[in-house]
Amino acid sequence: MRARNPLRSAGSWVLLLLIVVLVFAPFYWIGSSSFKTPPDVIKYPPSLFPPTWTLQNFQKLFASTDYPSYLTSSLFIALATTLITVTLATLAAYAIYRLEFPGRLTILRLMVGTYVFPSILLLIPLFQVMVQLGLINSLWSLVVANVTFTAPFSVWLMRAFLESIPLELEEAAAIDGAGFFQTLGLVILPLLRPGLATIAIYTFITVWTEFPFASQFIIDDAKRPLPVGLAAIIGQYQIDWGLLAAGAVFMALPVVILFAFVGRYFVEGLTTGALKE
Amino acid sequence: MGNRINFVLVVLLLGGFALAQVDVRLWHMEQPPHRVDRVQELIDAFNAANPDIEVVQEVQNWGDVIPKALSAVRARVQPDILFAIPDFTLTMKATGAVQPVTELANNLHQQHGFLDAAIDPYSYQDEVWAVPLYGMVQSLWYRKDVLAEAGIEPPTTWEELLAAAEALTTEDRYGIGIPGSKSLYADQVIYNFMITAGAKTIFNDDGSIRFDTPETVRAFQYYHDLFQFSPPDSVSWIWGDAEAAFASGRVPMIIQFTTITTFDQQTEDLPANLGVVPIPAPAELGERGNIYYSNGAMVLTGDPAKKAAAEKFLAYLLEPDNYGRFLNMEPALFLPVTADGQEAESFWNDPLVVEYEDQVRTMVDNSAYGALFGFTTGQVFDGIGPISAQNLLSQVVQRVLVDGDSPEDAVTWGQAQMEAATR
Amino acid sequence: MRWRTSFLAYLLLAPLLIWLAVTIAVPVGYLVYLSFTDMGIFGTSATFSGLENFKDVLRSERFWQAGRNTLVWIVGNGLAQVTLAFAVARLLYRRSALTNFLQVWIILPWVVPGVAAVIIWRWMLSSIGIVNFGLEATRLVDSPVSFFAKPSIAMATTIAINSWRWFPLLAVILLAALRNIPSELREAAMVDGATENQTWWYIVLPLLRPVLYVLGLLGTLWSANIFDVIWLLTKGGPSGGTTTLPVYLYEEAFARFSLGTSAAGSVVMAVFVLGFVMLFLRYGWGRELGGRR
Repeated sequence: MRARNPLRSAGSWVLLLLIVVLVFAPFYWIGSSSFKTPPDVIKYPPSLFPPTWTLQNFQKLFASTDYPSYLTSSLFIALATTLITVTLATLAAYAIYRLEFPGRLTILRLMVGTYVFPSILLLIPLFQVMVQLGLINSLWSLVVANVTFTAPFSVWLMRAFLESIPLELEEAAAIDGAGFFQTLGLVILPLLRPGLATIAIYTFITVWTEFPFASQFIIDDAKRPLPVGLAAIIGQYQIDWGLLAAGAVFMALPVVILFAFVGRYFVEGLTTGALKE
Repeated sequence: MGNRINFVLVVLLLGGFALAQVDVRLWHMEQPPHRVDRVQELIDAFNAANPDIEVVQEVQNWGDVIPKALSAVRARVQPDILFAIPDFTLTMKATGAVQPVTELANNLHQQHGFLDAAIDPYSYQDEVWAVPLYGMVQSLWYRKDVLAEAGIEPPTTWEELLAAAEALTTEDRYGIGIPGSKSLYADQVIYNFMITAGAKTIFNDDGSIRFDTPETVRAFQYYHDLFQFSPPDSVSWIWGDAEAAFASGRVPMIIQFTTITTFDQQTEDLPANLGVVPIPAPAELGERGNIYYSNGAMVLTGDPAKKAAAEKFLAYLLEPDNYGRFLNMEPALFLPVTADGQEAESFWNDPLVVEYEDQVRTMVDNSAYGALFGFTTGQVFDGIGPISAQNLLSQVVQRVLVDGDSPEDAVTWGQAQMEAATR
Repeated sequence: MRWRTSFLAYLLLAPLLIWLAVTIAVPVGYLVYLSFTDMGIFGTSATFSGLENFKDVLRSERFWQAGRNTLVWIVGNGLAQVTLAFAVARLLYRRSALTNFLQVWIILPWVVPGVAAVIIWRWMLSSIGIVNFGLEATRLVDSPVSFFAKPSIAMATTIAINSWRWFPLLAVILLAALRNIPSELREAAMVDGATENQTWWYIVLPLLRPVLYVLGLLGTLWSANIFDVIWLLTKGGPSGGTTTLPVYLYEEAFARFSLGTSAAGSVVMAVFVLGFVMLFLRYGWGRELGGRR
């Protein structure tokens, strides 16, 4: 390895620092604002640190909103969607990228159709579909809608992971007399773990942040997931900025905790298999 | 024996109630938690007093209630009561789902005396389409100490307001904050100036548009002049931004429905430092006037029992003993729409209202001078739906402030857009 | 080999395809139906109106304006996100404790719901916000900058905020792809006298094609469909400067109350997007989406 140009190296550190600031500054701002007293929050000039620390925004958040109920709804929707998306996408990806059959490419291309129509307009007919399915105002309506928009991308993501598994392994299993589902369960799936983790996390977070479906299909306050439930604390005419900041902190916190545990696997998953040649 | 008969009676009665219990689903868009809680208190009391009726609230948000309500009507899962503002009522009415509430409104008028500005926007085609529940007016809010320091009297005319805005603008302060965004907020604020310029009516009696008038042009010219003293980012303001700028001390004057709650909670100032006056008017016209939003409730159920129950609930809300508690779900913002409501003890005894009584009095007084674009003549034309929903007034504002069009050109453009919307 | 039959393939695909049929094909079918009717407010009566809506849309200056804005939006987001993502991926390429930490946490903006991101950024960019304070305190500007004052500035700001949310995901995917390229390839080239830049340009980039291909295709589709961030930031203003096609279509349906036109517009938009997809699949830089080894 040749020595690097020190100037250049310094330049890239500065660039990295800039990008890091750009990415994380809003989080710092919201985090510190959530500990400020209401007058301090909107005081101009603003202060980078809370002049006086207070927990009142968080107390208000928990006193005035049904955070545990929003959290439960969000977790349910995200977990159920993830489970279904991973299952459906894995089966479909296996068929498309491992099996030869008529219409393979047509089906693959048709799935692009999911992303072709503006989803903001699909909301109206989808509402009618949900009523027909008896799902309106049920958390399942969100599971159904979210699977639709996460599964096709997950299928494409699975491609590289599947291709990294040598065909010979399956053939060997077949020669040993294993049936298809045995092969899938015992040979393929264990090797697909990084891929499964990747699409699981992708799906989970997409669903976690989803707003329009949740706002349209859920009618009852008690069933609202976090983004919709916490959006309600923003009054139309008045904004309690400290409360808003506290809400934003607690909206992100569960995912931050999740990421602290699995974030590494997500990135590793991408590194070991995703989208590679 | 007597006991037994009583027992049988009780069972029969309970059974009868259980069979006859009417469920009423209520959608409203007042989603901040303290408002939801207050509505729930009132519902609980109502349900307790009326064992045969069960009202439930389902809270929606203004941001996307239009597609949601239309979807719900289409799928026949609409609520029985839906809160509304006048142009939303018009949109919903087109689906055929809105039931007239004329008889109820007339009765309530007899009992409580609706303000004209509250009931008129819902009265057309020989029926009343929603029961007015709460009013909102805009006024000019200012910081007394800042104006006093600069030796400025609270402005009452356009000329004084412009001079004050100029005088109050300093190195790190802007004289006034008015919105230049494409938003309902900017629609409302410019309309205040249209009213005081004498351009409050935008429809002729035959339904054609009369927007392109010298009075309208004058209002937009004035808005343009005033905007020079407004913060640059007010070109994207909505309500909350104006309040934050006011509370932070960056601007000492804003035009807003209320700023009492924000002022009280997010500044360290005393109530006495918050000033409020009616929207100034051109000196030679002197016409007092301001925008008035009459918020009401539509009944969307055709089922006679449900409709009766829904109407009973709405009448209950307007009873003076309950009414103040209802309005004070957001104290010092929502104003009484009835004469006896304006006197109601339950309205004036809220702690925040007590503290800011002077300011709330001014707001209540302004109610008598309220108007809403498209609903000023007793005739209502369908075109106002798209005119409001597209924020055409504020789009004209943006042509003046952002594109640099002359007010004449911008207003001519607005006239053409409104004509297109009416077709 | 018995299971490598079409039957098995269809069986495996069936759940997903049925799912998509109900949740996409049915709604799309309904939209297409609406596009041939004169429905105004959703749920009101409608009659067949032939191709009228399509004529209206194609003749509408607003539609084409929105189309142009959409192109600017897609290209702007693409450039901003790819540049940032490449920079980050390259900077984090060398493994160290710091880069290992950053490659996980840099993805944080992506977990923030769009609604929250919009409010936070609006606040930070306002005249009482931290950004303007910083600019003024460092004497970079004399008076607060308005980040939404002109159509072009508003578009740039909106693109920046949207890119802030999305580029980290792109960066992490690119980084993953980079790490998959055996370092021997580059080292061998450098031994042969190639400069570092040349190895990136001639060796790394071609190897990244499949990744860029999928991201280019899907990123474009996703960008084209973004509604909430724009709507909440600007409502398509000022003066229509940020009205992209989804914003136009939403307004057509729920502000101008012409659902038929809106449906027709979305069909036209879908045709354009599909055209792009076809071109991409045919001439795209890289291999067929469904290609296999």
